[in-house]
This record gives sequence, structure tokens and C-alpha cells, in this order.
Amino acid sequence: MSKDMRRDFTDRADLIRYVGEQFPEAAARDGRVSPIRGGRRAAEVQLNRLETHRYATTRNFLNGSVSRLSPYIRYGVLNLAQVRDWVLARATPHQCEKFVNELGWRDYWQRLYLKLGQGIWEDREPYKTGYSPQHYQDTLPEDIQSGTTGLVCMDVFSQELKIQGYLHNHARMWLAAYLVHWRHLRWQTGAKWFLEHLIDGDPASNNLSWQWVASTFGAKPYFFNRENLERYTAGLYCRRCPLYGHCAFEGSYDDLAHNLFPRNESPTAQPGRKPKAKRR
Amino acid sequence: MIRPILWVHGDCLDPQGPHFKNHPQAPALWVWDERLLAEWQLSLKRLVFIYECLVELPVVIRRGGVVAEVLTFATEHQADGIVTTASPSPLFRQYVKVLEQSLPVTILSVEPFVDYDGHIDLARFSRYWRVAQAYAFKGDLNDSK
Repeated sequence: MSKDMRRDFTDRADLIRYVGEQFPEAAARDGRVSPIRGGRRAAEVQLNRLETHRYATTRNFLNGSVSRLSPYIRYGVLNLAQVRDWVLARATPHQCEKFVNELGWRDYWQRLYLKLGQGIWEDREPYKTGYSPQHYQDTLPEDIQSGTTGLVCMDVFSQELKIQGYLHNHARMWLAAYLVHWRHLRWQTGAKWFLEHLIDGDPASNNLSWQWVASTFGAKPYFFNRENLERYTAGLYCRRCPLYGHCAFEGSYDDLAHNLFPRNESPTAQPGRKPKAKRR
Repeated sequence: MIRPILWVHGDCLDPQGPHFKNHPQAPALWVWDERLLAEWQLSLKRLVFIYECLVELPVVIRRGGVVAEVLTFATEHQADGIVTTASPSPLFRQYVKVLEQSLPVTILSVEPFVDYDGHIDLARFSRYWRVAQAYAFKGDLNDSK
């Protein structure tokens, strides 16, 4: 008979200690845990903090009002219909239109997962970057892992991913775009790295969003410039970055497109356009 | 199915999920899937989060191969079937197929976000949303504008 694992713990530290003992390989790779708590009670606390009216106008800003419900939705602690019904009971459909639309992204990814299965790990379409799939490298660069690129924004995002297990959606997109278009990393490698750490890591949402950035599931590659990042972070990272004014993200979108995708004869990149946020 | 067991997996850790609601007395099992643990290299952060979800559920927690553990649990409880909830994961479908060789499996669905069974074009989100929106809002969106 298989051994039952423990269910009763004196406190969170006791549970964390036990999980670390039971999964020593994971603990040896990185012993840190997220402040984000699991469970339905924690999910309901988070749900009660939701401000759908502010969400619509501020969600793209790093200090904006995002729901942080994605970890609970990921594991079905809350389902989409429950969350939708909760917001519709407290606001008019028009007031929560944007939020419900974002819930729709999750439903969309899940429907695609059902259809594609393991195909979510394969390029859905050719790259529109001018490069072949073979151009992209398989290994996550060491300075990304260690958060020592010198780019304050990317180093903070890398650390947050590993420490918190959570990143704002916009930060995920910037980091993914940096890895694919500036560092020429295969999106699959980046997607696997995210899935290792993100508490809300869902194969379908994660991989297809990476493909959207890479341009293998979308008409154009997604990229950004320093101005865009500075605006949506209120200058939080740029202000203290020694590379400010001459970083890799400096320049107009046309200049960046020319540098990043020199093999593209036509300007097919999609600068600064943000996809409908796929994670909250 | 008179005496089923519940197989709880990572796409429905809701204490109010349909499996718990429909079978409140049935013994329930969660299995830490050795195959997934090896393949996904999940961080301790993710494992702790899931564990915190599990301890709020009336489940026995074990570790091993999913199919073997579920069938062992079923034998221990002299179950005549397995009840679980739907998942889009291809691995879930594989496991169900193998389990069905030994016991009947009932797959329950959670309340759908978009209650529509017809064809939806998934090539792009915009095409999906064009159809799904009215169902997602239960037809209320246009009424409120």
C-alpha cells in the first residue's frame, strides 16, 4: 500500500519544511517559496480585493490594479464561471467588460490546448522575424538565470520570477520579447523556464503567449522600446539603470525593427502593441 | 456507479468542485505524478502552493505513477468506478484511457464560462471572442450599454 503524505501542519513553515523534505530535488534547485498562498480561502481573499473598474484602466501598468487571481484559476481553485458571476453580481456588464474579456483569454487558451495537445510546444506558424527556427538557441543564458545582464528591468524580472513565482503580464511580455528577439532564445526554452517558476504556470496560456511574442502564433513579432517600458513602470527601473539612455531598448520602433529583424524586407514587426493581457 | 472513488487532479482543486458536490462521501485521492515532476522540474514554490490547496480538500495525498496509485486506491476502497473532472491536458486523456481498461471513469465538467456547444473558430482570439462574448456575459453586455 502506498504511503499517505501528511495533511496536518502546525503552520506554514511546518508545511514548507515537509514539502522540502519530500521533494528534495526541487528544494536543492531553489529552496525559496512564494508569499502567494494556495487554497480556496486565499483565493476568496484575493477575489474580494478585485477592483474591476480600476482594472480596465490601469492593468497594463506595473503598479496597476490587477486581480492576481491567475494562480487560483490555473489550478481550478476558482473557475472562470465563478469569477465571472462574482464580478457581474457587483458591477454592470459594461463596467467589467475588460475583465471578462481577459477571462475569455484563459478560456480560449484552454480550448486550444484541448485541440492541440502537445502541439502547443511546436511552432504553430513560421517565424515572421526573418529567421528560421534553427537560428534560435536552446540554452537559457547564464546572465538571465542569475539576473546579471546589467539591465535593471530584466534582472529584476528574472529575480521576481524566481523569488515570487509571479510576474505582471506586461513584465512577462517584455522579458519574453527580450529573450527571443534580443537574445535569440528559442521560445520553448523560455516557456519551460517560466513554467518551472510561475505559480500560475499553465502550459497553454504560457506557451501560446510565448508563441505570440515570438510571432509563431501571430502575424508579427512583439517587441518594445525603452520608452514603452519606462512609461508602464513609471520609470522604476530606468531611473536606477546605469545603461539608461544607451540600453538595448533605446530608439524608435523603426530603428529597433531594423536592428532586430534585418532580414525582414518589409516592416512586419508589431511595435509596442500589447496583446490582450493573457494573465492577470 | 455505486461506490466510486474520486481522482482529484491539478485542474480542479476547488472544494466546491462537481466531484466533491456530487459524491461528498466518496474517498478522494491526489497523486503527485512522478512523471510530471521529472518532466516539468517544478520549483518548490509551485509545489508548496499546490500542497496548500490540497490540505483544504478532503483528499488522501500520495506520490507515484498516477494510474497505478488510482487503481490501488480504488482496490483499497473496493470501488466500482472512478469519478474525476475534465481537463484539457493530453496526459489526462492518456491516463483516463488506461484507467478505463480496469474501471469505468466518469468525467464531470465544471460550469462552463462559455455555455455554447457549436463550432468556434480558434485561429485567433478575436474570432473566438466574436462568438463567445455574448455567452460569457450571458447575453447581458449589449443590454447595459
